[in-house]
Amino acid sequence: MPRQNFWSGLVVSAFALLALTWIIPEYAGSNPLAQMPPELVPNIAAWVMLVCGAIVAVGGLVGLVRAGESPLTFAIDWRGVAWAAWPFAYVAVAVWLLTMVKLTWLGVPLIALLLVLLGERRWWLVAVCSTVPVAALYVLSVYLMRVGVV
Amino acid sequence: MKPILKPFAAALSIAALVAASSAPADDWPNRPLTMVIGFAAGGSTDIQGRVLANVMEDYLGQPVNVVNQPGAGSAVAYTRLANNRDQGRTFLYGGITALTFTPIITRVGYEIDDFEFLATLAVGQNSIVAASGQPFSTFEELVEYGRDNRLTYAQQTALDEAIMRRIAAAEGMNVAIIPTGGGGGMAPLVLGGEVDFAYSGGTHAQYTDGGEMIVMAFMGPERSPFYPEVPTLIELGYDLVMEDYRVIAVPAGIPDRARERLVAAAEQASRSERFRRVTEDNTNFPVVFYDQEETEAAIRRIRAANEAVLGD
Amino acid sequence: MDFTVLGGAIGEALTLQSFIGIGGGVLLGYMIGVIPGLSRSVAIAIAIPMTFYMSPYIAISFLIGLSKGTAAGSAVSAILLNAPGEASSAATALDGYPLAKSGKPKTALQVGLLASVFGDILATVILIFVAIPFARVALMFGPYEMAAILAFALVFIAGLSGGSLFKGLAAGGLGVLLATIGLDQQTGLPRLTFGVTELMDGLPLIAVAIGTLALSEMFVQSERLRLQRGTMSVKLEHRPDDRLRWPELRRLLPTMLRGTGIGTAVGALPGLGPSVGSFMSWGLAQKLSKTPERFGKGAPEGIAASESADNAVIPAALIPLFGLGIPGNVSAALLIGAFAIHGITVGPLLLRDDPEFLYSIFAGMILASLILLVIGWYGLRLFAQVTRVPPHVVIPVVIFFCLSGMLLQGYGTFGLIVLMAFAVIGYLMKKFGYSFVTFIVAFIITPMLELNLRQSIILSGGDWSVLLGRPIALVFIACTLVALLVLAWRTVRGAVGPAPAGD
Repeated sequence: MPRQNFWSGLVVSAFALLALTWIIPEYAGSNPLAQMPPELVPNIAAWVMLVCGAIVAVGGLVGLVRAGESPLTFAIDWRGVAWAAWPFAYVAVAVWLLTMVKLTWLGVPLIALLLVLLGERRWWLVAVCSTVPVAALYVLSVYLMRVGVV
Repeated sequence: MKPILKPFAAALSIAALVAASSAPADDWPNRPLTMVIGFAAGGSTDIQGRVLANVMEDYLGQPVNVVNQPGAGSAVAYTRLANNRDQGRTFLYGGITALTFTPIITRVGYEIDDFEFLATLAVGQNSIVAASGQPFSTFEELVEYGRDNRLTYAQQTALDEAIMRRIAAAEGMNVAIIPTGGGGGMAPLVLGGEVDFAYSGGTHAQYTDGGEMIVMAFMGPERSPFYPEVPTLIELGYDLVMEDYRVIAVPAGIPDRARERLVAAAEQASRSERFRRVTEDNTNFPVVFYDQEETEAAIRRIRAANEAVLGD
Repeated sequence: MDFTVLGGAIGEALTLQSFIGIGGGVLLGYMIGVIPGLSRSVAIAIAIPMTFYMSPYIAISFLIGLSKGTAAGSAVSAILLNAPGEASSAATALDGYPLAKSGKPKTALQVGLLASVFGDILATVILIFVAIPFARVALMFGPYEMAAILAFALVFIAGLSGGSLFKGLAAGGLGVLLATIGLDQQTGLPRLTFGVTELMDGLPLIAVAIGTLALSEMFVQSERLRLQRGTMSVKLEHRPDDRLRWPELRRLLPTMLRGTGIGTAVGALPGLGPSVGSFMSWGLAQKLSKTPERFGKGAPEGIAASESADNAVIPAALIPLFGLGIPGNVSAALLIGAFAIHGITVGPLLLRDDPEFLYSIFAGMILASLILLVIGWYGLRLFAQVTRVPPHVVIPVVIFFCLSGMLLQGYGTFGLIVLMAFAVIGYLMKKFGYSFVTFIVAFIITPMLELNLRQSIILSGGDWSVLLGRPIALVFIACTLVALLVLAWRTVRGAVGPAPAGD
């Protein structure tokens, strides 16, 4: 856990630093006349993130040093990362496809393929689980909400 | 129909409408239409629009689906509409501030010329209001009072704030301007006596009947039919106007037949009791029918006026 | 109160057609609420065109039944799938999901349902007899009071996040930062929108909430599948003692009473919304509990606290609506539109001009709660079976519904991208022990807090002595300071004591 704290704290403070030095000054706008200028709240939030992220990172570092581990070496379980990442990739691809195809048409293969990838082999279950939600969406969008096919 | 059957009849009649494409095949439209609403479901524009869709559908003989494209006070919806190539089968119902005001303060991906505005169906009721029982009850008294006392004013947009700043500067009033984030936020501030007076886009209608709020000035070019005794800002001697219309917009260059039929459906809707009731009772927007020429001229005029107000 | 009017009103509420209308509303709402991503406002938007064909009384009762059904339904997916249907049920998932996983899904659902109905009915009774005459009290809560309450809610809820305080605060900071995206409330100028038109209204709350809460949970569970496969059965055992008993229910009563109180107060103040209510109630229940360490690990009190407050908000939001004509939250605002379609102007005049109509709506609301109890009680037997469905079947279906929820609301590709981005953020936060609850609460509260703070600063003209005339604000400022001190004390103690556990 100290290792996770060290790295996540570092990422949080790095993001906060980026926000404070570049994102907020560049994009938050400013209004010297306002009693509460628009950049005030984002700046407070970024400072909180910076300080807390730094504390978490330092806490993690202390834990690592006490345990006699080096903070910079780590073994990544690549198989674990790959397993965790592929559903994200799957949905991201689906989102990209959805810019061209409507979800109602994409729904059945979307659910069915994911089911199969997750290890389901009973064909009737795949058929039911992929068609029923899509049919429900069709009824909901076309007949109930009347927004047309989505 | 027996009332007990009504919920079921609702579902059935929707199904029937989808099934029965009763219009002749050669006439427009021969496919379902889409009405775009530039706000999330449930706002006043959305509710007006859903009733309007219902009325237009009866006239056109094709379903009119309502699609919400919320974001940036309709700027998102206008951006998408500008790139729409549906030949008039997709149209927008909504306000015009995304055209007359938003482009002045920020960069948007469309211009007025990208659209045709087929009709105006309702006119906004921008007003200056206050709670009753204050030391002032007319705008002149307010100005008089404000010369010696610090006043607080609840704004909702940068435009009404700019107008109030101009008046305050011209009259030498001391006005602190407070943001509210919408009509729902304005009412508690005014009724609770937290602010002295406020801008209202129509929310005040439900409080003036009970005498809890008074309208001190109307911001349109002519007096409101609902408050004929209230003077306009122009009559009070300020050359300032703030107008809002509810219009039907389509991408520029749709086929003539589509334009003709949509305009006819809109005109029909402006006479419909259902649309009138929801629009006038809900937001106190008087239902009107201004044709395309009139609407487009008004939009350009309002844009120019806003540029003048916000220019300095 | 005129009791003949009341009698007539109850008579109208008990006709067959009202049973069918209200029952249909509750059932439809319940089914919509179970789907993550479809919230109360969606359900009402779906239903408004249907009400064109109903009588005004049926239409309004149908819609109120619908919103009650949605609130109870979203608790079902929160408890069984850890995928709350909307942000306000996130507090329910904190204890509901662990309890369901420990083999007691039925108990968890029963507690949730009973607390819902309890909060609902009690808040409706408060609405009828107490609140409307005293609705003007809400006007005493001006910007100073609202800012103080919101600041208190933020600190109080931030303090709840279990585990590392600093991680919680960092997550809260991110929530605050992201909540400031959008047009500035005063100048109307874009803030942190990077020139993207879609961002001008800010990140859509529904996409952020569903991404962080529901979609990310599906990714967490799909990752867990790998660890579980082969080593242990994914099929949960159903314990024979999975049933709520009366002594246990009796112990929950004080919690539900407090939850209803908080929910009613939050609902009666325009603008706070159910999420604030359910999290505050959950936090208070934990603070007052003799065994606070059980919270977040399947304490029935946690479910009861969150659900009773969440549901009490719905009738309570009608207090300012009927008393003052000010909608208490989004779904109450939607109801104004529905009333208008039927030619009824909502506000204080309704009580004077048409009390019978108003009371028949109240009677309809209580009827809706009872119907909800029946539907929910039989429904949960069916729903409890969901835990028997292995997660690898649930995951694709829930992902599909998350996507369709966004598309149905018209946010398009932009909404899907936001949803996906926050699923990643939510996943990482869960993975690294950053409190996603603090994040989402900060995201919800910040816009309201900033607005009210701004209003207070401008109204006071920089003169802080104004606060001396605002006792309610002073009380909440004091509470905020105490909460901050407690947080600081906990931190210091944690720092000098043994090194804090990671999460």
